Amino acid sequence: MKHTLRNIFHSSKFVVGFAIFMFLLVMIIVYPLINPGSPLEQIGVGTFARPGTYVSLYDAVKTTPETLRIQDADEKRMANALTTEDKVAMLEWFSAVGVDVSGLEMDDSEGFLELWFANYDESAKPKGFTMAKRNYYKRLNRTVLDLQTGEALVVADPDNETGELVKIGEIKKTDYVNVGQVTNVKTLPLGTDNFGRDVLKELVGATKTSLGVGLVAGIVATALGLTMGLLSGYIGGIVDDLIMFVTNLFTVIPGFILLILISYSISPDLRGPTTVAAVIGFTSWPWTARSVRSQVISLRNRDHVNLSKLSGHSLLRIVVTDILPYIASYVVMAFILQVSSGILSEAQLSLLGLGPKTTVTPTLGLMMNWAMSYSAHINGTWWAYLPVILTITLISFSLNLMNTGLDQVFNPTLRD
Amino acid sequence: MGKVILEVKNLKTKYVTRFGENVYAVDGVSFKIEEGKSLGIAGESGCGKSTLALSLMGYYFPPLHYMSGDIIIDGKNISGMNPDEVRKTILGTEIAYIPQAAMNALNPTQKIIRFIEDVVHAHDPKADKKVIREIAEKRFAELGLPAKVLDQHAVELSGGMKQRTVIAVSTILNPKVLIADEPSSALDVTSQKMVIKMMRELMDKGYIKAMVFITHELPLLYNVTDDIMVMYAGQIVERGTAKEMVFDPTHPYSHGLMGSILVPEEGTRGHKLTAIPGTPPNLKHPPDGCRFADRCKYAAPECRYYTIPEKEFGDNRMYRCLKSLDELKEVYDHE
Amino acid sequence: MKGYKKYFGKKILWFLITLVFAVILNFVLPRLMPSDPVSAITGKLAAGMSDAAAVREIYEHYQEEFGTNKPMIVQFGIFVKNMLRGNFGKSFSQYPREVSDILATSVGWTVALQLPAIVVGWLIGNILGAMAAYLRKGFDKVLLPVSIFFGNIPAFAMAVILLVVFGVELKIAPLAGGYAADMIPNLSWPFIKSVISHYQLPFWSIVLISIGGQAIGMRSMSIYELNADYVKYSRFLGIKDSKIVGYVFRNAMLPQITGLALSLGTMMGGALVAEKIFSYPGLGSTMYKAVLASDYPLISACTLIITIMVLLANFILDIVYGFIDPRVKAAQLD
Repeated sequence: MKHTLRNIFHSSKFVVGFAIFMFLLVMIIVYPLINPGSPLEQIGVGTFARPGTYVSLYDAVKTTPETLRIQDADEKRMANALTTEDKVAMLEWFSAVGVDVSGLEMDDSEGFLELWFANYDESAKPKGFTMAKRNYYKRLNRTVLDLQTGEALVVADPDNETGELVKIGEIKKTDYVNVGQVTNVKTLPLGTDNFGRDVLKELVGATKTSLGVGLVAGIVATALGLTMGLLSGYIGGIVDDLIMFVTNLFTVIPGFILLILISYSISPDLRGPTTVAAVIGFTSWPWTARSVRSQVISLRNRDHVNLSKLSGHSLLRIVVTDILPYIASYVVMAFILQVSSGILSEAQLSLLGLGPKTTVTPTLGLMMNWAMSYSAHINGTWWAYLPVILTITLISFSLNLMNTGLDQVFNPTLRD
Repeated sequence: MGKVILEVKNLKTKYVTRFGENVYAVDGVSFKIEEGKSLGIAGESGCGKSTLALSLMGYYFPPLHYMSGDIIIDGKNISGMNPDEVRKTILGTEIAYIPQAAMNALNPTQKIIRFIEDVVHAHDPKADKKVIREIAEKRFAELGLPAKVLDQHAVELSGGMKQRTVIAVSTILNPKVLIADEPSSALDVTSQKMVIKMMRELMDKGYIKAMVFITHELPLLYNVTDDIMVMYAGQIVERGTAKEMVFDPTHPYSHGLMGSILVPEEGTRGHKLTAIPGTPPNLKHPPDGCRFADRCKYAAPECRYYTIPEKEFGDNRMYRCLKSLDELKEVYDHE
Repeated sequence: MKGYKKYFGKKILWFLITLVFAVILNFVLPRLMPSDPVSAITGKLAAGMSDAAAVREIYEHYQEEFGTNKPMIVQFGIFVKNMLRGNFGKSFSQYPREVSDILATSVGWTVALQLPAIVVGWLIGNILGAMAAYLRKGFDKVLLPVSIFFGNIPAFAMAVILLVVFGVELKIAPLAGGYAADMIPNLSWPFIKSVISHYQLPFWSIVLISIGGQAIGMRSMSIYELNADYVKYSRFLGIKDSKIVGYVFRNAMLPQITGLALSLGTMMGGALVAEKIFSYPGLGSTMYKAVLASDYPLISACTLIITIMVLLANFILDIVYGFIDPRVKAAQLD
């Protein structure tokens, strides 16, 4: 036993897989302690807030500023304020009034402004420019002028009695507040999703549920498969024929289709994560039964089993002491694969709209389904789906890596 | 004394395990076989006899590695040759091999005739397929194999038929030396007899000139081969004619081994069946002294300190023991 | 020839048996569930209605349509009769379109997409697996973990990644559909071109996900074959290594056909979901829409058709395998 364990942990594949899986486990245990609350709590009103740190604007204004003179602050501000669209509009103006723009780079905001102030004339009426278009240029000019003149923003508050705005402060361009001093700062490492939920929190909750689904599916499938395989392999005869028939039947009739059939027949209110997991387990046992059976058949006539039979040991005792220990490694490997495919099945089912119905716990499949339904992949809001994909892939990668590692320990010919 | 067909001088080869350890499986083996003669090699499993069979081919691939020594076939030393040249000009034409598990030696999805074509083409890429077929049919008929086998796949043949086919294919190019590694041990008695008969025929008809026959079944060797060598822990411990080896073994190991069999001939009847207790030494670190000392009833302390030389005696006989012939004779008689 | 007859006879019998069971399952499973499908459907359809009489009428209509008011065995008879006629009833969501009509178009798209993709993925996977087994060392060390990683990217994830990279970011592939939305299917060159460009992403996503699993299977098969006795024996007869490698890969690849048959069901499942991601007009998307709209007859017909397709593919693979691997014939003779 000790020797086997040492061998297993000598397999680099197993160790890598184990480390990834442990990391995920630690995450789902530790993260809710740091960031408690329901994973489905809607904190955002809008959809798909970008990942990043959010500073309460209200609190920031109320925080005592420091004056910092930072050299390129204006430059940055201008570059940020002057959009590509504005620049294109300026270029149009320049060409209309016949200014040479050769040598002007698109990212040279200062160059654009310089040319603009030198050549813009509010009263000019270039040919083909409508009134509306000229007004647009007037607005653009004002924005640009505001940037140029270093005026401060005025903070005003309506007077309680008269309702008139009273100036209560001024924000200068050189005013800075320390993020640490602002009362409300919220970091959303993965932004929010289409419902305005914290994606990271949701992801951790979903990973936990999905692992649970995989575990239940794996246990159901392995328990059923093991029982059937043992019965079929050890008893043989008509029992074997019957079980093998069912097993063969289910290896050709796609389990995923059965899963769909069963899932849409269960009424949605009954379709919680546990039910879905049990259904997944129920449709995936034949494969385990098959491999257990072939193992048992090769064991059935070994000397130690025959000796047990001759000693009059009960069926249960023979199975538990003389057969199970020899197939334990196969069963563990089959279980790992069942967990991994269970998680995947849930995700696929959810993507077809047949996943668990829930208001408490998200699953990875549901998150994916929500993101796809709101076209997150086409809007470029990667944080809503990429972490989910990565998590599913990592879970199944780590489980399969562990499995390959175990396989190489127990089947030496596959070794490097 | 006839013409020497195969001469092996101090051959040493090793296995390299996947952990990089060396296993010295053939450690200084020398012998000669004359034209028309056959040599049997006997020993317990793990003594290196199968490795010796592979090593004699002069063609090495991991995990087996050549270390030193010479293999001379009909006057031509093949041990220094470049592997590709060995493959093209030696394997199958000068020396051929019949594997231990001949049951699986044929590619299951290939027709036998296609395989024969591949074998011939490996040495003569321009050989005409029609000619190859004629040769194969003729040889199969001579050896009593049905011609339809040529158009069958290996999986369609019975065990005995597969083994005979393997022998026929191995010798299709008339190799001078045939190395057979337990060619009959997995077969039933009838098939065994047919295999042995076939190998004799090959010798009688001159398709092969000399044969090395490896087995753990001593009675078989006694019936089939002219000479017998006994191998222990990578070395030859005794050599002699079949008769001498069975009725007058000198080395304590051969003595024990012969004691453990029953040869159905006069003089051997009534011998007690005795197995030799203990296990052979680990060939990763072979002991300096006598390798058999740990299991030898007659071992003296000095046996473990001296490197034991091969001692020649009588008519081309050899044994590897510190004790003199007389000393050994005395202890055996004493029993 | 006797061996073949026995083998093919067995396979045909098995195909028929599985077909019968598939049909039975398709019929029984939804009816075994605690909820009555008709009340589930009317519940969904009548969600906004307040008129009890109208709800009752809908209920009775569907009860009649499904025959749920008749005994189980009679229901099954009707089901089989309708199925044989290719009559799957009318779609709820696209009423009054016939289900068989909707399916007729989607089946074509699905077969045209998945069949070539799975075959190409199988071939590439086998070649890579064989290379990993033969070259071992460096190639294997890199290829095996990479294959395991790629093999574990779920089908839908691969679809999303390809769509985002090539469709959204690089803008070199269309985002959805089987052809440009403003086109009407015909045999003109622009339409075919549009179909081809819409084909690329779904095709490659299915190819990429099937490579990993096949490569891993082929690798272990090849390693097993490389250690086979005939390899050593052939070498000792002077046959060139390149030729022997040919033997090995042929022998390793043949059982992979059975491997393909076994993984077909799983692959189909993944591919159906991938279709949905690309809004490809095949069975996957149809099924998704049907689920969203609670279109009971359409879902039921989709699952049946997919099952039959998988069974048929399995059957064909078995037959092909029987012809090209002599080991099958030999096994029948024992």
